[in-house]
Amino acid sequence: MSSHQDADLLVRIHIDGQSLESQDSTTGVALYALAGIAHSRYLFREIAGDAEDEPIEPTDQPIHLQPDDHFYSQTAFKVWVLYNGVKKPFEVRPEETVKRLLDEAIRIFGAANPHTLSLFKGGTELPDGQTLKEAGVKPHDLLLLRPGAVKGG
Amino acid sequence: VSTLYRLERGLLEDTFRHFRECGRGRHECQALWLSAWSQPGILTKVVHPRHSAHLGGFVLDDDWLNEFWLELGTTNMGIRVQVHTHPGEAFHSHTDDEFPIVHTPGFLSLVIPNFGLGPVGFQEAFLTEIQPDGRWKEVPIASRLVLT
Repeated sequence: MSSHQDADLLVRIHIDGQSLESQDSTTGVALYALAGIAHSRYLFREIAGDAEDEPIEPTDQPIHLQPDDHFYSQTAFKVWVLYNGVKKPFEVRPEETVKRLLDEAIRIFGAANPHTLSLFKGGTELPDGQTLKEAGVKPHDLLLLRPGAVKGG
Repeated sequence: VSTLYRLERGLLEDTFRHFRECGRGRHECQALWLSAWSQPGILTKVVHPRHSAHLGGFVLDDDWLNEFWLELGTTNMGIRVQVHTHPGEAFHSHTDDEFPIVHTPGFLSLVIPNFGLGPVGFQEAFLTEIQPDGRWKEVPIASRLVLT
């Protein structure tokens, strides 16, 4: 009973400078629709302090809002790439290809003769020809730049 | 780019022990020498990767490699030298050239002859280094590795 009452509470929030009202229990899909955020953009909730801002996925996962929460949308987002124990940030856009990020990571890490290197997420190699969005790359993801095969003979 | 690495004799002995216990004079085997990014010139750890092997080669397990890559990130360590055995003479094969674990200039690859069954040391071993253009070039062992 109390959860029904909680779901009806309206809170004032701010998205890209607009003041809006929303139920305090909502979803990513509803927030994107409320502010008219295009599918090509990513929504983030501002987090105070040094912590990373929280990426909001356009899904039906429940999200709890606090009064005066601030959100912003942008087309670019940050991912991390790990190579030989060193982690570096890269700013990317969802429509970029995996190959473009791979080439940039190879350049930044200074790998020479890197034909066996690929990007991996969760143990799965990301296909070069896909966009980052198609490959399921999300804000703050940790990607591994590593060889697809290591062998000797 | 080149570094003179310090290696405790105990790590070299551990490396040969892995080669002898795993390869048993019948299979090639690989070990990796690591150091902290805060002190890269001092090799502090030998890692024996999960791999499959036969008389003339080895392949690292892909799941192991993924977990190990994450572990390097959490421990702030980097791979400086890959070390592997050959059945006979030590040299760098085409496969060794094409499929290293690290691709940055200055990375070293050491090949130990006779499956590592000989004396613990660098006798008749072969050391090569990635150059800025991506090619491998043989370098004198004493110019890159010092036993302490």
